[in-house]
Amino acid sequence: MASDQDLVVETVRDILSSHEPFALTADTAWDAGLWADLAEAGLTGVGLPEEAGGSGGELADAVAVVRTLAAGAGAVPVAEQLLAAGPALLAADLDLPDPAEPLTLAIAGAVHAEPSDDGDGPGRWTLTGTATDVAWAGVARHVAVLAQPPEGIEGAVLALVDAEELATSDARNLAGEPRGSLVLGGTAASGALLTAAQAGEVRARYALARAVQLAAALEQVLAWTVQYAGERHQFGRPLGRFQAVQMELAEMAGEVTAVTALVDAAVQTLDRDEDVVLAAAAAKVRAGAAVEVVARLAHQVHGAIGFTQEHRLHHLTRRLWSWRDEAGSELTWSQVLGVGLLAQGGDGLWPALTRVV
Amino acid sequence: MSSSLTLAPAPPSEAAEEVRTQVRGFLADELAAGTFTTHVDTWLSGVDPAFSRKLGERGWLGMTWPKRYGGHERSAMERYAVTEELLAAGAPVAAHWIADRQSGPNLLRYGTEAQRQAILPRIAAGECYFVIGMSEPDSGSDLASIRTRAARNADGDWVVNGAKVWTSNAHHSHYAITLVRTGPPGEGPRGKHQGLTQLLVDLSLPGIAINPIRILDGGHHFNEVVFEDVVVPGDMLLGEEGAGWHQVTAELAFERSGPERFLSTYPLLAEFGRRACDTGDRAQLATLGRLSARLLALRQLSLRIAAALDRGELPDIPAALVKDVGTTFEADVADEIRRVVEVTPSLDSPDPLGRALAEAQLHAPGYTLRGGTNEILRGIVARGLGLR
Repeated sequence: MASDQDLVVETVRDILSSHEPFALTADTAWDAGLWADLAEAGLTGVGLPEEAGGSGGELADAVAVVRTLAAGAGAVPVAEQLLAAGPALLAADLDLPDPAEPLTLAIAGAVHAEPSDDGDGPGRWTLTGTATDVAWAGVARHVAVLAQPPEGIEGAVLALVDAEELATSDARNLAGEPRGSLVLGGTAASGALLTAAQAGEVRARYALARAVQLAAALEQVLAWTVQYAGERHQFGRPLGRFQAVQMELAEMAGEVTAVTALVDAAVQTLDRDEDVVLAAAAAKVRAGAAVEVVARLAHQVHGAIGFTQEHRLHHLTRRLWSWRDEAGSELTWSQVLGVGLLAQGGDGLWPALTRVV
Repeated sequence: MSSSLTLAPAPPSEAAEEVRTQVRGFLADELAAGTFTTHVDTWLSGVDPAFSRKLGERGWLGMTWPKRYGGHERSAMERYAVTEELLAAGAPVAAHWIADRQSGPNLLRYGTEAQRQAILPRIAAGECYFVIGMSEPDSGSDLASIRTRAARNADGDWVVNGAKVWTSNAHHSHYAITLVRTGPPGEGPRGKHQGLTQLLVDLSLPGIAINPIRILDGGHHFNEVVFEDVVVPGDMLLGEEGAGWHQVTAELAFERSGPERFLSTYPLLAEFGRRACDTGDRAQLATLGRLSARLLALRQLSLRIAAALDRGELPDIPAALVKDVGTTFEADVADEIRRVVEVTPSLDSPDPLGRALAEAQLHAPGYTLRGGTNEILRGIVARGLGLR
């Protein structure tokens, strides 16, 4: 990203340097200390406007924070808060919770919203059902839930739920990050009715947030692998001097560079207020596709030590393997992209491709 | 990541979008008039001088060159849009492709004023075609091992002996920029890069034989060009005597980064898009999405290189990377599609998808060989990573 973000990146790196990544478990489901330091520095509100309680700054600043934390395997819900749930609430004219309190987004499962008159004024809803695969369930204090609208109404309801009293299930992704369910039993919440297009945009922004994380983690895995190939000696020379290993590293670099180029371009469509759905779909699918190659070759080059929790590599490869199918699976977004590109018919593919990013 | 691999994002270009619309309209008209039919890999196989002249008339060749040489002083981003539209339509662009892409820019960098004035306006008009005289029967990836020789005679002319291969469309072309050995190699591992020279060889000269080499589908695009005591006028030296290796390296940055390195099989993808639209099959739509995501990433990489060329840079390492990733994609298009469609590849198929698949399959081995094998390219990328 541009050098305007260097200061933000340095600040996040400074904070990260005193918080080593650790293997997440049910008991230590996130890095509360890291979150506290980030919140104190105002970094959990970057890119969210000051008048809404955020720290201000550009979208590019928020992306830089998310990228740096993803590359550092920071176990905190910053991508959800800064790039997905926060912007979704603001776009729906809903109040943003205090950025010092972790916020996440729930888009899967079956949650129904009914309008309610609970005496707290207009825009109140009652939510019933189970939200599944909720990132940071049990950790996030607030959850923006994308729920099905009352029968006969098109679109979706976006509601902000206080998660403190909710029952959560303990499920985690391949890296141990919390991905449980939230049970909503007539939970009262403020919310807003979204059109189908607006709901689609909420999902797309979430996918793009994951794509940004994927791109950053892929870059870091490549850097670690190049570094390791330079340091590890076998047969009297560094691994990186072997042509077979060079071919593998070059293949990884090709994948990573392609992902970065597309994810950067997709983020720019967001900045230009263009239709983000197909750009986000493409970025997410492309980033996810690179995971297979990059993680496989990174582990191959690292050898057995990379296959253990003693080495840092797993902090990112386990996340990569999960992130590629989160915020909408690779299959889902591939189909969204395929259908979207053919919206103008079978002859319209090329014009559609040249408009995506 | 290593800064030698990454380039800044390309700024949006309104001028490029404008010319893109014009080219798209032109191609729709030509297709409707039946002046060409869409094929796969037409920058190798689609020779049509009349079509090339039409592009020249519209100012779509030599686009970035100075006006005094028949060029149009437009940006590399605009040229990118034009070439991309032509490739996506599977238009017959092979006649002028090499001349417009790399021989012209090579002449601009290294040619004499007389050479530029004599040749560049004709390339820009779509009337003068070039072949690449690099590979030889015994020299492929190890280009510096070439054996074609040139020596000065008493008149100061060059006498050339040897043979070049894989010279695409030499039988339709006017010139070959020919890499020859004019002096002995130096000492050390890079010594063989010394003593190489580029000559501008008129293919109608006495002593030149052009013999066809047919590729897998029976098509005649490749040739062997044999030089037997060919006397090349002394003023047809290109650039500096002995600087051939350096000049070739610069030429390859243009050769390796363009959209033809990932769009050779686009007409197949377009045909598949029509099929997926008709069937609504979810597996086909997902495959279309996956392939399209790869293509969109490649476009961004290639656009970044076009923007770098506009900044006056010569990004040879990113160009190698684009060509590696892009040509791998070109071959994958055929494989991914055949996994999700009931289709039999045949050049005689009544189904346009079957025909496109056959063309793409039979041309597939070439994608990752021409312009530098992917192994060579990955070696260049590894150098960019600081590994060698």
